[in-house]
Amino acid sequence: MKSMHPPIGWRIERTLAMLCIGAAATWAGRTVLLGRGVYYLLLITLLSAFWDLVAAERLPGTLASLLPVGGLAVYIGVTEWIVLSVPSIHLRLEDDIRSGAIEAHLLRPVSYPWLRVSETCGGLLVRLGALGVAGMVGLVVSRHAWPSPAIWCCLCILGVLGGMVGVLTYALVGMCAFWVRRTTPIYLCVQKLSFLLGGLLAPLTLYPDWLLNIAENSPFAAQLYWPAVIVIAPTAATVSHALLMQVLWIAILAMLLAFIWRVGLKRVLRNGV
Amino acid sequence: MSPIITVRNLRKHYRYARSSGLLAAVFPDYQTIDALDDLSFDVSAGERIAIIGPNGAGKSTTLKILTGILEPSDGSAAVLGLIPWRDRTALAHRIGVVFGQRSQLWGELPVRESFDLLRHIYAQEKPAFTARLGRLVERFALAHLLAQPVNRLSLGQRMRCELVASLLHAPSVLFLDEPTIGLDITAKAAMRDLIKQQAHDEGQTVLLTSHDTRDIELVSDRVIVINAGRIVVDQPTSELRRRFLGRKLVTIRSVAMAIALDLPGVTMRSAEPHETLFDVDTGKLHVERLIEAALAVGGIEDITIEDPPMEEVIHEIYASADRLAD
Repeated sequence: MKSMHPPIGWRIERTLAMLCIGAAATWAGRTVLLGRGVYYLLLITLLSAFWDLVAAERLPGTLASLLPVGGLAVYIGVTEWIVLSVPSIHLRLEDDIRSGAIEAHLLRPVSYPWLRVSETCGGLLVRLGALGVAGMVGLVVSRHAWPSPAIWCCLCILGVLGGMVGVLTYALVGMCAFWVRRTTPIYLCVQKLSFLLGGLLAPLTLYPDWLLNIAENSPFAAQLYWPAVIVIAPTAATVSHALLMQVLWIAILAMLLAFIWRVGLKRVLRNGV
Repeated sequence: MSPIITVRNLRKHYRYARSSGLLAAVFPDYQTIDALDDLSFDVSAGERIAIIGPNGAGKSTTLKILTGILEPSDGSAAVLGLIPWRDRTALAHRIGVVFGQRSQLWGELPVRESFDLLRHIYAQEKPAFTARLGRLVERFALAHLLAQPVNRLSLGQRMRCELVASLLHAPSVLFLDEPTIGLDITAKAAMRDLIKQQAHDEGQTVLLTSHDTRDIELVSDRVIVINAGRIVVDQPTSELRRRFLGRKLVTIRSVAMAIALDLPGVTMRSAEPHETLFDVDTGKLHVERLIEAALAVGGIEDITIEDPPMEEVIHEIYASADRLAD
């Protein structure tokens, strides 16, 4: 009963099936999704009101004075959209590794991190969709300018890629469970770094030059800043640079994840769980 | 018939840090435990083997090594011509595994969706898969469960689903680690029947570990007893049954203060007012006869019939092995 599919076709089909099951599991928790949507709506309403006030002042003498009116509020809406859409993959990995549930996965002819990352990306897509709808409602309610269709298209692509950077970053945190009892302290450090260097609450262009250079090239910016910046600087150069940074970081993080998995797997195969 | 599983001089040592804390992290003090010590056996195609032993004997370690999720410290093993820990992915297509205490299904989702994902994971063609699933669903009576989320199933229902999940890719060898643990008597009986029938019909080789003597009696045709990582006994179940499993423990709560019975093959193990525990050798006397005799002398209020605890059976087996060694 072995498949007659060519390996690449089978791999794509299998990955899509894993994405679908992750999406279905997230959709099964629709009440949680609704609560998250309401929270997101409240959050962006408050933050956009705050940033509209700041923008009204135009922060004389700072780069903020160069930003478009209302753009900051939408920027925050995009960064929060991505942050709240990334599922807690680190907790799933930690639980599998520490409880020994990982053994059941090792018995399957599929890479465990690939399975979990694909599932999580399925959940990510559902959350991005649901929170995207909530964001649009927020945009209508707050009477901000509606971005152009081109920006919407870019946001969809960059938002998904940004979410994937987040998933891979937190998957790396989860893999630390091979060596540490609890990954939450590491997660909190990485999360705070991502808020700071990813420009969660303010565009990186407001940062001093030395910090701007570090932040712009970090994976956190690829997750949050580069997808969001196109609403305040919608140029082809920004979009192409954002795509480049995201693809680069996805490749680097995926390779790092594969390496750490191999080291962790050796440990499990040698010592058990 | 050439063996499909060969195990030769298998050893496994685990190393644990004796203590934890900052000082132990800097200057670790390790303790080595021998989980398997020179284990060797062969399994032919179609055999149903039970690996039994007390906690920490090395049963699960053996199963983990043979399924490829643990590397031995020394020795060799081959399953279906593959070295499990080196060819783990290739082997996964040809074996089915159920860990009684671990689920391989997706808890939040309906059973059918887990099965469908497994079809993709094992690269099964849809028509063949659907036909096989249909047969398994009928045999395991799962039709009404397919649409239910896994985490809403009872343990017995979930275990039937787990077993089907492990059979969907038509494995040649089935590894079952405590498949009936936690199940009630009815669910246990159903699981045993299903495992035995399935293995018989498809000629599957089964390796199971269990603490339940009934699992061993009803499912396996050969028993390997392990203690401290070594094989103590390796013989047909019929032989083991004749020597060690032909006993029942019968507790009788009686109207009379005490019941004294002088019957062949019956030993009184303990007696309290209105409650007596008898050990019955069923090879010499049917339990039914004991009950008739008890009714005649003391009147019965309640009666419990149990198998001797596995630890007791194993203890007898060890004692017998020691006698043979002497």
